[in-house]
Amino acid sequence: MSICSEWDKIDPREYRGIWAYLEVEDGVLGEGGLQMLGVARNLASQKDTYVGGVLIGKGVSSLAREAIYYGADKVFIADDEKFEEYYAALYAEALASLAKEHKPEVILVSGTMRGREFTPYVANTLRTGITADCTSFEVDPAVKDVLGVRPTFGAYLIAHIRTLNRRPAIFTARPNVFPTPERNPAREGEIIHTQPKVADGYGVKLVNKKRFSRGTVPIEKAKILVSGGKGLGSRDGFTILQEFAKVIGGEISGSRKAVDAGWITHDKQVGQTGKTVRSDLYFAVGISGAVQHLYGIREARCVVAINKDPDAPIFDNCDYGLIGDYTEVIPALIKAVKKLQARKTE
Amino acid sequence: MDIVVCIKWVPNTTSVNIDQKTGTLIRSGVPSVINPHDLHALEIALTLKDRFGGSVTAITMAPPSAKLGLEHAIGMGCDRAILLTDMVYAGADTLATSYTLAKTISKLKFDLILVGQETVDSSTAHIGAQVASWLHIPYLYYVVDVNYLGDGKIWAKRLLEDAYEEYELTLPALLAAAMHSTHPRRVKLSYKLRCKSEQIIEVWSNKTLGLEANCVGLKGSPTIVRKTSFVPEVPRKKIVCKPKDVEQAAEWLIKRLIEERLLKI
Repeated sequence: MSICSEWDKIDPREYRGIWAYLEVEDGVLGEGGLQMLGVARNLASQKDTYVGGVLIGKGVSSLAREAIYYGADKVFIADDEKFEEYYAALYAEALASLAKEHKPEVILVSGTMRGREFTPYVANTLRTGITADCTSFEVDPAVKDVLGVRPTFGAYLIAHIRTLNRRPAIFTARPNVFPTPERNPAREGEIIHTQPKVADGYGVKLVNKKRFSRGTVPIEKAKILVSGGKGLGSRDGFTILQEFAKVIGGEISGSRKAVDAGWITHDKQVGQTGKTVRSDLYFAVGISGAVQHLYGIREARCVVAINKDPDAPIFDNCDYGLIGDYTEVIPALIKAVKKLQARKTE
Repeated sequence: MDIVVCIKWVPNTTSVNIDQKTGTLIRSGVPSVINPHDLHALEIALTLKDRFGGSVTAITMAPPSAKLGLEHAIGMGCDRAILLTDMVYAGADTLATSYTLAKTISKLKFDLILVGQETVDSSTAHIGAQVASWLHIPYLYYVVDVNYLGDGKIWAKRLLEDAYEEYELTLPALLAAAMHSTHPRRVKLSYKLRCKSEQIIEVWSNKTLGLEANCVGLKGSPTIVRKTSFVPEVPRKKIVCKPKDVEQAAEWLIKRLIEERLLKI
């Protein structure tokens, strides 16, 4: 079969191993990369192959053992001065260079903001297939390829996507959908120091960086979320939700419509174009329950819906539902909590 | 500065319905729109043109009906639009799409490329990085603000989870506009009417581009959809009521959540 002349010829059978890219955040392994090690472990046992972890940065060698404790059999390290600052094309070419040399069958990257920025460049450099934002993985029983499963068409459908004849097959995965594997300090593995080939410069320079604290627990880490939607009617609605969240030790979040209206910031958006949450408790207040939103709350343990529209789809997708005006229901919930708290301290 | 903006004409995914009888997706009659995230890319491009001069060209690879999306882009103030349409481009994944877009852009005079962060239909966020890769130019995602520094350089600011970062990029470069980064301007009728009188929207087929058939469309796509399925429903209790006494119901619910160890007070 003839292929595009821009692609090099490869033999897919030479490619073995499931790699997880390990993003380093403030000197520690990011949660997303650890989640990918868990996925890689599972796929590798089905495919009877090894799990590779990839570390790129300056001074990252010290993290290799951690990567092994979390499930890597081999850790590929590119520890160099030139990787001190993350630049998308630089990191992408480093990872692509390692993949060319060591030929993994699959590369998994957590779809953090940086992960989603640099991974498509890796795929392009290798002229291979990439599947974004996967929410599960499977080994196709017939063809034995790893398939990425992801929402599509605005989360109305899920597509099972295969990379045909090209390797490595590259996937980004939705953060927070997969559990973080257990750390086992008894695990052993191999550490491989590498020198990927990269260019001297990529025409981009970081000139300023200002860290800020949002002052709240990120919604993807919150145990309890009180989430508001269009049904709140105005930004003021969030003041009531904030009060309730405070009383029960939760955080506030919102639907896309609440973010579009400017009532809450994008980092607090739940749903397909926002975040997937794994809270124990999720209050959906004035949220009708569009499929895109429901997609983001699939991992929530318990969903409580409060809406005055009895026909809102959220009521078919909740554990508990109260049909009513939130301006009455939320204060009643606050009162109930305070009453029980008072009884407890008596 | 000459700027190219890549846009996509997408089904309006918020207005899709499920056929309750058959449980299938009703795709027909779903209206299409410009991918809402691309409007921010257009706005940033047009603002740069307003301040520093130059031109803005909108391009899209799509079936002929996407002309309506390009008319919208012209209506916002773009100077030129190109519709890439050919049967051989059909079935393209992001690698093949980015290849076709990159080959088109390399035929144009450009200093800067802008794209939206992702699309609302397939949400891959691949195209920006992939176009930059084909063209070997610097790129940056999640951009909220841009300035031209002169001397072939731009400044761009982006927003990450917990930081603002400022970069200098050497032109030509590509930027992906963050969602919610601007207030996109409305269409001006006088601009849009130009589509009627002038040949402002060009239609390019593979005769114009002359790309190898193996590199575009389905053939140039390493990924294939093995199957699609509906999103499985999450089992939920669905205990729903419309309480007569709101306070009583609230207390019942809170107690229940405590019993289930979901809430601690």
